[in-house]
Amino acid sequence: MGAPFSLRVNFVELDFSPIFESWRFLANGLLVTIQLAILCCIASLAFGILGGIGRVYGGWVLKGIITFYVDTMRSIPVLVVIVWIYFALPLVSGYSLPPFWSAFLAITIHVAAYVIEITRAGIESIRPGQVRAAQALGMSHWQILREVVLPQALIRVLPSIGSIVSVTIKDIAIASVIAVPEYMKQSETLAAQSFHPIEVFTFAMFVYFCILFPTTRLIDRLYRRLAHLGQS
Amino acid sequence: MKLEWSVVWEYRWLLAEGVLVTIGLTIVTMAIAVPGGIILALMRLSKSRFLSGFSLCFVELFRNIPLILVVYWAFYVMPIFVGIELSAFATGITALALNVSAYNAETFRAGINSIRQGQVQAGLALGMSRFQVLREIVLPQAFRRIMPILASTWVSLFKDTSLVSVIAVGDLAHNALMVRSQTFRVLEMLTAMALIYWALGYPQAKLADWIRKKFEVKE
Repeated sequence: MGAPFSLRVNFVELDFSPIFESWRFLANGLLVTIQLAILCCIASLAFGILGGIGRVYGGWVLKGIITFYVDTMRSIPVLVVIVWIYFALPLVSGYSLPPFWSAFLAITIHVAAYVIEITRAGIESIRPGQVRAAQALGMSHWQILREVVLPQALIRVLPSIGSIVSVTIKDIAIASVIAVPEYMKQSETLAAQSFHPIEVFTFAMFVYFCILFPTTRLIDRLYRRLAHLGQS
Repeated sequence: MKLEWSVVWEYRWLLAEGVLVTIGLTIVTMAIAVPGGIILALMRLSKSRFLSGFSLCFVELFRNIPLILVVYWAFYVMPIFVGIELSAFATGITALALNVSAYNAETFRAGINSIRQGQVQAGLALGMSRFQVLREIVLPQAFRRIMPILASTWVSLFKDTSLVSVIAVGDLAHNALMVRSQTFRVLEMLTAMALIYWALGYPQAKLADWIRKKFEVKE
């Protein structure tokens, strides 16, 4: 029991010192997780919202393609998408992406599909009367979308966007299988090198919880403050 | 580049076995996580502060941790804390069931809460017991709201089973990745894996959509 940061549970001596000794290694992983999360969220929101608009207002060809894409991503695990983009795409395209950008591409492709569905639900929740009223006022299609439909729709789907952010951060942990040096991968490495998997993985649970729980709560609170703007 | 798709046919039995394990993982996990979710939801709604606090902590914990970490945790940490050595399959099931139970608990809680309190009071006023009210008034109505969400959880679970491949459960992802590293037929095996998941998952996703339409509650 002599070492600092140690604890006895169920006859197992726990020693948390490897985590403190390698904090820089873990902090770097956390930084990569956060960077990837921000990039993936921005990209998948941008593509997802555009796709959602196409899904609702597009012609039947565009609608069909987007629906097929969304349902495909709903049926293939993100692990498979990540592994395919990293190992197989270079063989097809001739370009090989580093793990970080492979993970970015794969997770964005995957998450954007969910954003499309959310955007579509948001747009369809706006009463058609509003669009007719805007048309009667002489607004163009683009004006109606930008000034009437989207602002309300996006506020209404804010809680779902919150869970998308949470899903994205969790999906990034899966990028550890292609050795992106994000928090999950760093934890695995440290667990193996220090022979203290119990402490390292339990600490990782704590870290993820401390990131994900406040993130979703924050978006929920933002929604509660903005909800009135989406009502009509 | 020369492609040899025959490798997929050559290893068809290994892939088929992986498909069976993937389906088995999904079914067994759901069979545990539905009762698990109901119990957690009832605990959360109970008057006991301890029970509802425990349920809240459990649900929030497992909803806010990446599943792949739960899988690693169940593999490395749980045997030591709990003192039971489980097979890889059972470890995978445990991790998945912990995760999905948490999600199901929220689904059931939301479903039960969606029934107006007045209906419960009316039932009680008619002399029904709390259990009767739950079984005959609340649950049948909550069912319509719960089913569509349960269906989409099922689809997510089917995909998430691929994550237990990291602890060498012989599911589709694990077997396909293993063949890939043995034969070096990377593009063929990974594409086959994606296509098999697609072929299995696509109808399930469509079925989930159909259930959502069928049970849609119009206020």
